[in-house]
Amino acid sequence: MIEFESVTKRFPGGGVGVEDVSLTIPTGKITVFVGPSGCGKTTSLRMINRMLEPSSGRILHDGQDVAKLDKAKLRRGMGYVIQQVGLLPHRTIVDNVCTVPFLLGRSKARARADAVALLERVGLDPVIAKRYPAQLSGGQQQRVGVARALAADPPVMLMDEPFSAVDPIVRESLQDEFLRLQHDLGKTIVFVTHDVDEAVKLGDQVAVFGGGGRLVQVDAPEDLLGRPRNAFVASLIGRDRGYRRLSFVPARDLPSHDVVTVSTDATTREVHETSERTGKSWVLSVDSDGRPVSWLDGRGDGDDLGRVPVGNTFTDDDSCRAALDGALASPAGLAVHVDADGRVVGGVGHDEIARYVTSLRSAEGGTAEDAGQDAAVEADA
Amino acid sequence: MIEFLSVNQGRILGDLEQHLYLSLLPIIIGLVIAIPLGMLAANSRWANAPLLGLSSVTYSIPSLALFIAMPGIIGTKILDPINVVIALSLYTTALLFRSVLDGLRAVPEPVKQASTAMGMRRARQLLTVELPVAIPVVAAGLRVAAVSNISLVSVGALIGVGGLGDLFTYGFQIGSYYYIGSGIVLSVLLALIADVVIVVIQRIATPWTRARAAR
Amino acid sequence: MDEGEGGALMSGLLSFLFTAQNWALTPDGVPARLGEHLLYTAITLVIAFVIAFPVGLLIGHTGRGAFLAINIGNAGRALPTLGLLTLLVLLMALGILPVIIALVILAIPPIMTNTYAGIRSVEPDIVDAARGMGMTELQVLFQAELPAALPVIVGGLRTATLQVVSTATVAAYVALGGLGRFLIDGQDQQDYPQMFAGAVLVALLAILLDVVFVGLRYVAAPGGLAARRKTPTRRAASAS
Repeated sequence: MIEFESVTKRFPGGGVGVEDVSLTIPTGKITVFVGPSGCGKTTSLRMINRMLEPSSGRILHDGQDVAKLDKAKLRRGMGYVIQQVGLLPHRTIVDNVCTVPFLLGRSKARARADAVALLERVGLDPVIAKRYPAQLSGGQQQRVGVARALAADPPVMLMDEPFSAVDPIVRESLQDEFLRLQHDLGKTIVFVTHDVDEAVKLGDQVAVFGGGGRLVQVDAPEDLLGRPRNAFVASLIGRDRGYRRLSFVPARDLPSHDVVTVSTDATTREVHETSERTGKSWVLSVDSDGRPVSWLDGRGDGDDLGRVPVGNTFTDDDSCRAALDGALASPAGLAVHVDADGRVVGGVGHDEIARYVTSLRSAEGGTAEDAGQDAAVEADA
Repeated sequence: MIEFLSVNQGRILGDLEQHLYLSLLPIIIGLVIAIPLGMLAANSRWANAPLLGLSSVTYSIPSLALFIAMPGIIGTKILDPINVVIALSLYTTALLFRSVLDGLRAVPEPVKQASTAMGMRRARQLLTVELPVAIPVVAAGLRVAAVSNISLVSVGALIGVGGLGDLFTYGFQIGSYYYIGSGIVLSVLLALIADVVIVVIQRIATPWTRARAAR
Repeated sequence: MDEGEGGALMSGLLSFLFTAQNWALTPDGVPARLGEHLLYTAITLVIAFVIAFPVGLLIGHTGRGAFLAINIGNAGRALPTLGLLTLLVLLMALGILPVIIALVILAIPPIMTNTYAGIRSVEPDIVDAARGMGMTELQVLFQAELPAALPVIVGGLRTATLQVVSTATVAAYVALGGLGRFLIDGQDQQDYPQMFAGAVLVALLAILLDVVFVGLRYVAAPGGLAARRKTPTRRAASAS
């Protein structure tokens, strides 16, 4: 556990650092510091491993004041990842990953073997171990940076905008793998970002920093989206925060019902007949295992019948956001509900999702208000 | 000291005049040759490597050796000041060639692409866009060249043509600190003045660099 | 002698270079002069390096005293070699000591400024990451900054070497040995071919040493830096 106790940092030039921040960072969880540039989030992070010293207040790591610990030793026990990675250009990838184990005096052969395994773990091909940083892409370098921070198996990881310098597609895959890794490792992670989507996606706890280096709100992401403490937080998390919040509403209780299906082998006539019999203009074709394939237009012509491939489906473990997305993307206005094996269980319409969310709102006494409204607006659009 | 200066006014002023001539003329000659050579190297793959090699080799040759070798290479008289002028022009060219090349290469790619996209031809783009943008780098090279030329000229005194270097050899022969001391002070002062003059000219020629600094 | 006929000079040069007596192992033969020249150069560089390198490292790592480093570099360039040499000899009497001091004074600025500039040019993110991983300040300097700065530092050594080789030639004027003797003696004896031959020998030595340094620069930049050099990053290097 890391605790900030009334920490203030002022810079000699008069620049705003951090103003009276008190905060508890729980062990084994991801705490995200988010806010606009110059809000003190990076300064706060850098005070944890004493890259900066507080002007007043103190920071405790497992009950010990970090100011009383040896700087170098403290840092070796905390993985450190920064936006520009900062790999040593004259060392191979494997030796870069081994930096901290080498500093700790561990056996070189052993450390290198561990490092290669770690490279695989962060999704890199071990052949790059012998290459130099300049020969890697930005995304690869960032993965090496994460591997390097993990190399000495520190209980704490400090990450300063680690995924901000890579393109959105790479960023998303880095985030997913990061979450998967954290699921296995359970590190205490402090993660700085200016991207609210990233904060909400990754954080178990999100700390919003505002102007003047003050901490504005610390909450679980869904509570942050549902109950922004003030206008600043509301504007930071954006207008579509209600829609985002659907990410935290489970889909398992949505009123899923039967959908009209036909076999992929069905002829055009059979499709037309099914459509006429049920009064549904779109029918879902499923393969022999019961997995959804595409939507077919019950009045369509020719072989292709206005075929639209089924996009996103949702399972009980997904969120209402995934379900709503599937419904909006479907020509039938229906999200396809599947089981863990991908077999069709049923479907739910976008209007039904909106109604369900609205009912939650009244049940929870207004906490889901924004979610319901935004979902309804999206659904009508 | 003042007495020394007034008594030897004639000798010192004569040396100073020769020193100025021997060090500054090569700067002008070097600049005039280096600009087209740098532009050539920046635009032609085949000219680049040999010119770079040549400038590196030229710059590594000791100055006294070059002064002495000049008559052997171009058939001038050994005491002719032209030897020093030509040798220093070679150094200046070698050094400034490098600066012009570096300066042109440092022009930001978007600036070049924008000028091309606006329909500028290659020569016009070089002269009206890239060369002006390269001025600060070239001026930095010019400062180095001017300052080293001024200190190098005095070595020429060993072959009888050395401007203020004359005060060193003469002072050494008669064992006088005055001559050597005033030679050193004047030479350093001259270098300082030349340095400041180039900085001032550069500032006037590139007002945009100040605008950036002030922002 | 004043009139230099190109052809006659060439044959004079060749006859000097191909006269066995000039290459004999006598105190005034080419090998002995070359040895003296290299000895002056080596002594000077070692002393200058021992002084300038740590100071450059310190200034580069802490960022303090950068103003000093830059000004020493500029002053070193403006100081006239011959004046410094003759002044020191007058002050200390003839001998190797004043010459070595003068040469050291000339060699310090390029080594110091390039060491400083090399360390400063290392990307701040690399230094930040190294420190953040728990390197001590000395480890940051020697494991992160110095290796990345090595090519620029070697560049400074190269400049210093060329200056010392060049100035060691002038040392003959104050009664020392080295290849400069052929220049000074030739001047005294009105023997231009000897002077010319001396000049050619010094130039060849300088070019040779320069080539050695070009090679050294590649060795100093192990794979990682060489790989990076392919991308157009600007040299943060010296005036040389």
